[in-house]
Amino acid sequence: MEHAFRKRLWTSAAAVSAVLAVSTASAHATDLTFVWHAGTCADALVDIAKDYPDKSVNIVPALVPYGPQWHDKIASEFAIQGDAFDFAMWDSQSTAEFAQHAVKLNDIFDKSDYLKADIFPPASLSRYGEFPDGSGEFFGLPANQDAYGLTYRKDLFEDPKEMEAFKAKYGRDLAVPQTYQEARDVAEFFTRPDQGLYGWAQMGGRDYDFATTASNSYLWSFGGELYNPDTMEVKGYLDSPASVDGVQAYVDMFKFGPPGSANWGFDEVNTAIQQGQVAMAMQWFYFNGSNADPKVSKFADKVGFAVLPGAVGRDGKFRRQFSVGGQGMGINKYSKKLPELTKFMEWYFQPEQQKRYAAVCQTGLKTVLESPDWQNLNSYNRQFSTALQYLNDYWHLPEYPVLLDELQQEISSAAAGTKTVQEALSAAAAKNERTLERAGYEIKRGDSTPEVPDQMISPVGVDAVVPVE
Amino acid sequence: MSNANTPAGADGQAVAHATRQNALRKRSSGRLMIFGFLSPTLAILLFMVAYPIFSLIYYSFHNFSALRQSTMKPVGLGNYQYLLSDPELWERFIFTGKFVFICVSLQMLIGIFVGYQMQKNFRGRDVIFTILMMPMMLSPVVVGFLWRYMLNSEWGIINFLLSSVGIAKVDWLGQTNAALWAAAAADTWMWTPFIVLLATAAFRGIPETIYEAAEVDGASPAYRFFRITLPMSAPVLFIALILRLIDSFKQYDLFVALTGGGPGSSTQTVSFSVAKTAFSYFYTGEASALAVILLVIIIGLSMILVRHLTRMGEKY
Amino acid sequence: MTHARTSTIDLAGRWLVLGLLLVYTIYNVGPIFWLLLSSFKSRMDLFTMPPKLFFTPDLSGYQSVFGVGAAKDSASAIGVFDSLVNSVIVSVAGTSLAVFFGTLAGYVCSRFNFIGKGDFMFFVLSTRMLPPVAVLVFYHLMFARLGLADTRFGLILVSIFANVGLATWIMKGFFDGVPKEVEQIAIVNGYTRMYAFTRLVLPMVKGGIAATAGFCFIFAWNEFAFASILTTTQAKTLPVKISAASGATGIEWTQICAAGVVLIIPVLIFFYLIRKHLLMGMTFGVLGRS
Repeated sequence: MEHAFRKRLWTSAAAVSAVLAVSTASAHATDLTFVWHAGTCADALVDIAKDYPDKSVNIVPALVPYGPQWHDKIASEFAIQGDAFDFAMWDSQSTAEFAQHAVKLNDIFDKSDYLKADIFPPASLSRYGEFPDGSGEFFGLPANQDAYGLTYRKDLFEDPKEMEAFKAKYGRDLAVPQTYQEARDVAEFFTRPDQGLYGWAQMGGRDYDFATTASNSYLWSFGGELYNPDTMEVKGYLDSPASVDGVQAYVDMFKFGPPGSANWGFDEVNTAIQQGQVAMAMQWFYFNGSNADPKVSKFADKVGFAVLPGAVGRDGKFRRQFSVGGQGMGINKYSKKLPELTKFMEWYFQPEQQKRYAAVCQTGLKTVLESPDWQNLNSYNRQFSTALQYLNDYWHLPEYPVLLDELQQEISSAAAGTKTVQEALSAAAAKNERTLERAGYEIKRGDSTPEVPDQMISPVGVDAVVPVE
Repeated sequence: MSNANTPAGADGQAVAHATRQNALRKRSSGRLMIFGFLSPTLAILLFMVAYPIFSLIYYSFHNFSALRQSTMKPVGLGNYQYLLSDPELWERFIFTGKFVFICVSLQMLIGIFVGYQMQKNFRGRDVIFTILMMPMMLSPVVVGFLWRYMLNSEWGIINFLLSSVGIAKVDWLGQTNAALWAAAAADTWMWTPFIVLLATAAFRGIPETIYEAAEVDGASPAYRFFRITLPMSAPVLFIALILRLIDSFKQYDLFVALTGGGPGSSTQTVSFSVAKTAFSYFYTGEASALAVILLVIIIGLSMILVRHLTRMGEKY
Repeated sequence: MTHARTSTIDLAGRWLVLGLLLVYTIYNVGPIFWLLLSSFKSRMDLFTMPPKLFFTPDLSGYQSVFGVGAAKDSASAIGVFDSLVNSVIVSVAGTSLAVFFGTLAGYVCSRFNFIGKGDFMFFVLSTRMLPPVAVLVFYHLMFARLGLADTRFGLILVSIFANVGLATWIMKGFFDGVPKEVEQIAIVNGYTRMYAFTRLVLPMVKGGIAATAGFCFIFAWNEFAFASILTTTQAKTLPVKISAASGATGIEWTQICAAGVVLIIPVLIFFYLIRKHLLMGMTFGVLGRS
């Protein structure tokens, strides 16, 4: 009796282990999980990965909504040093924060035959992966580039009656603005609330980085800076006269947007473009595809895309600088599948795959970016490759999320008109310095602060307006 | 209780003996039952609460980020000092207090009113009742987006309806006060059904005989409501109030969806600040200290209310 | 004369009440109607002014939610069914266990006086006071160490934890509504207390159990904060899965509205089934009995 029982136990144990063996055999397939916000680009990555020759490797998306949850998801997995995902796309500014949990890509560059630093434009690789700045150590690959751009209503700009009226009023031709000073006039010209038409749309929302990606573009173009990376001074830089000029120009532009547009995010700006309510809008290149899509946009065939204006600063110099967008691809240090992942990336960053990707999103692979096929693919790729040279970014410091939130808060107040620009920037500078000090940075206060800080930090000002195309 | 309850055919002594035995067994089985029935709940709550609460308190005295664990440093009361001396935190508390006050009062008022009507029996009541419960069943993630869509100043249905009756468009999400009321409207929309449900049940629980007695005395409807219905259902309404108070104190995802906390940080609730400090900044220590402060306030308020409730329970 | 005036006031009062009820109903049902309508609108129609009541229905939102049709090849389509299964398992198991444990605890709290009863009841309630965001990091650390991160079992634990307090309080109320004599008679008749509980008292609070389950189900089914951080792929629930609705043109409003409609259906069915029980005795027992 007991013997029989034991026998049965053994048989069932054997059966169970057989089942387990079978399931582990089938589970031999490797899942490479990635975290990214949902959308066209994640779809493209998954779609391309379906053709990966090694069928035992699955690319598994762990999608999150765009915005803070995306950062939080990645950060909290790093906090437990977990391997729930193997790689992730994160914002360029987050590299500093995540670097200590990411695989240093120089090691991969050293070992790989194909995956080398020089297959990417040096500026792009640095923007999406280098930490600390200038160190030559990389933690992210330029998987999805993006830049701020200008979207405008071609039908309005090319309408002879409008052109004539504009010339009569402003004494020059109606054209895509090259400076924010010009943009202001054009926006004013097209602001006709009685017709439901406005001149300009831009982001001013408090969420994530909405307001500051826009205001920084003005700030840098007018010669301002967020801080001095050498002395860590924020006061005197973020609230310098040139910075105030820039942010003031940004705040003033809300006058030419629909009422209540000072809290808009990217979605509202897109809607205004798609519904044809604005003559011009400041928007990410990422969205151009959908804004030119007749299924989504009523004015799909009437929108044009251009590079954002620059500005002539108080020192008489012209600068064109705007925010970088997009994401780098980083590898989770705690992933146990680095060999498989490296193999996949060697395949994924081949021109053939990246060409497919570039059809819907913006690649960071040099050969594709330089190919005429890609440049002529749609109405904005050429502008995009031009725009890449004017990009600038936030602080590349691990404290970036705190600094960003402080600046967001103050810029949002200025946009809503509850604070003057000077008050807002001074408050932001004080908060940023407090945060840096708490984080242990030493602020070396200089004797004087510049009126136009850009002159001190990697100056980009030139004497005359340099138009693009 | 009659003789029918005593086991048939037993004499008095046997009954007395059995009762004593029963009493003994009852006492020990009672103790066993208390222990046995409470332990699963207690075990799971302690398991789920012990480590996080210990960590919360422990790290609130440290400069600590879970993302940069090597930089941990004890700071004593430093985090608390930093937070409590920040004038902006007080603004967060004042805003949260306003929001909680508006939400809880609106929800209680409307909930009691609707509940009082729903207690009556009428045709189709169950269906209507289920329909009225719908906002509460909706996923909170969707609720935030839905109201953001409806409140949009340019394309939202609410401003469209307002302007079609000649009222000027309101910038619901871009101004502190408008946003406060907009968020309160959304929260009230979602959670009034909770009060309606509890209030209806409470009102229906009042014995009809009490009303009948009042009827004989010729009491007016107002008298009936204020002197019978309200006092008799007050304990339940109080529990509803406590639960809503706790939950609206914790509210932040609505503000994430509607305003992102702006303009400035004027519509950022304390819980929103906790979320930001804990996840965006990953200042685990500081977030813990802020959470402890928040917890102390919620627990304090609830304790006062629960004590009040217990007293009321004893009265009826 | 006096009589006539009272009835005029009565009548006016009744109309006022009816009017107020109507306003509330519009406020209550309007947004739900708008959600339903919007779930069938294309992005272009969603933002057209004046808003359209009649339009060509666009099913892309529902297609995206279920990962079928035009959305079949999107990255979001992967794992929709798995997350539906996860959601069902987690919320059903979480609700049942929370109600089961809450029923036991509620019974004891209703029937016995024991040392620390008030403290126990308050402790049970206070677990609801903890803002989840404040402690999520610690849960994530704890779950990672115990191997519970990204598992259904872990989420079931969370679900019980989040609901057992509410269940205890509500069930105590229902038990308070059952006369104590029920057990007394049974015991005098020689039955055990356990027997009285399972065979006599429990059947009397069947409705209460259904109502408690209804409440817990709402919270378990819609739970978001914990699930969004504690799960990545294996145990991801439906609300977390479909919250990732950003797309080519920003926020995928159609998909979000469709998700809202889809997510509410199970809860609505559940509520409709228990609607009678909901009103039977949800009085937390501090009242007289009816």
